[in-house]
Amino acid sequence: MRKLRILSGVATETGQGLRRGGWSNWLVVSILAIALTIFGGVLQLTMTLKNVVSSWGSQLEISAYLKDGYEPRSVAREVSQMPDVKLVEIVPKEVAWQEMQQAFKVAALNNPLPNTLHIQLTNVDSVEKTANRLKTVDSIEHVRYPLTVAKNLNRFRHFIEAAGVAVTAALTAATLMVIGNTIQLVIQSRHKEIEIQSLMGVSPWYIKGPLVLQGAVYGFASALVATAVIWAVRAYMDCYVTGQLVGLLPLLPAEVGYGMVPTFLVLLSLGTAVGAGGSAWTSGRYIKV
Amino acid sequence: MIRLQNVYKDYGGRPALVNVNLHIGMGEFAFLVGPSGAGKSTVMRLLYREEKPTSGQVLIGGIDITRLDRGQVPLLRRRLGIVFQDYKLLDKQTVFDNVAYILRALGVDNREIAKRVESALCVVNLEDKGDAYPDELSGGEQQRVGIARAIVNGPPVLLADEPTGNLDPVTSLEIVQLLEKISQRGTTVLISTHDQFIVNSLRRRVISLKNGQLAGDVDSGVYDMEAIGQTV
Repeated sequence: MRKLRILSGVATETGQGLRRGGWSNWLVVSILAIALTIFGGVLQLTMTLKNVVSSWGSQLEISAYLKDGYEPRSVAREVSQMPDVKLVEIVPKEVAWQEMQQAFKVAALNNPLPNTLHIQLTNVDSVEKTANRLKTVDSIEHVRYPLTVAKNLNRFRHFIEAAGVAVTAALTAATLMVIGNTIQLVIQSRHKEIEIQSLMGVSPWYIKGPLVLQGAVYGFASALVATAVIWAVRAYMDCYVTGQLVGLLPLLPAEVGYGMVPTFLVLLSLGTAVGAGGSAWTSGRYIKV
Repeated sequence: MIRLQNVYKDYGGRPALVNVNLHIGMGEFAFLVGPSGAGKSTVMRLLYREEKPTSGQVLIGGIDITRLDRGQVPLLRRRLGIVFQDYKLLDKQTVFDNVAYILRALGVDNREIAKRVESALCVVNLEDKGDAYPDELSGGEQQRVGIARAIVNGPPVLLADEPTGNLDPVTSLEIVQLLEKISQRGTTVLISTHDQFIVNSLRRRVISLKNGQLAGDVDSGVYDMEAIGQTV
């Protein structure tokens, strides 16, 4: 009960701090919201591009040509148990020959084609590894796979990931700086009060707690604003832009966008954590009690 | 209750206190006098652990407070009442809230807070000023709020650092008499001052400092300007 009353006291102090902040609260939230909106936008973009690349990657197929005398079903079963294999499609040599004859009007010969497996993977990273693994299977004569395409897609995906990390790091640093400077100003304006609290024997965390909570509130509120902005932009994109893009790029999968709920959760946790963390760091640095 | 043993304190090599030995018993009332720069405020700051001595021991209630780590300092300060020359009141809070602040921070329940704050305000004769803000009060009244805040948690020791420095002589005497009244309830009171009038009016124990050294310690004493080398 006593601890509850202390926590309630910390919450009251936080409320008073925010009330005293007045218009500067809005300024801080606006600046943080801009940073978080950029971050959220970058997150949406990188995740969407990643999904597109993954989707393209998942359309890459490895073709494995079987030796004569092996039962395609049993080989397919063996292959399907390999790591990263999503789907194994059997193309019997009779079907392949029939399709070839229809397509190219080939003369009536003995069927020279082998039984074939078309293998789709869960992960574009593992194309080469899986192909090498397939080459070691006795029943497989030859393996064909789009190595260059896979490598390029991987390179592109890694670039997107690295760019995402760089932007996240830069914006986190910017957010920390804004929060830190704001809390530093709050500490300066409340310098006398903090000194009095300290001389009265108030616990350091009772002095710093409201500042940390204030930072967390800034981060939380900014995340809400940023989510609203991103949601509005996305709604506009969904209506007018995506349809046209899909028309222009037929290979673009229909559902590649990164969900709003995960974006909201990421922004909320990042905003709150950075807000609280930035305040805690600044309080620790500038309040010596 | 308060004991200083061979306390030496310097600031960048310049000595502020030189081998000071001092003992003030439980419930005692004493003045710490001396001209500016004699070391009075340094003694006070050592007692509420705003600073640590360069060497020597500072004991309160038998505990060597120089050995407390930073986390224990708030616990020490809750057992001390501190009164300042500039009152150090929270401007945006009422008298009641100023006095109640530490109790709220300690999680005391509201009914107990109301009881203790009213009692403290009653001791300093400000029971009808609970809703006022500091800037609506005179200097003497603000200092009495500072005293109420210092005693609200029932500390065994009360330190007053130049509590009358900003007050006229009549109000100063009222404030010191109030501190004397608090001492009679069993609280150890140490007042640092260079106000000759109040020291001579009360004729209580007078501890004199001169150039950071103990220059005199007299029961029922007066402000001996000669002993501390002060001129009018």
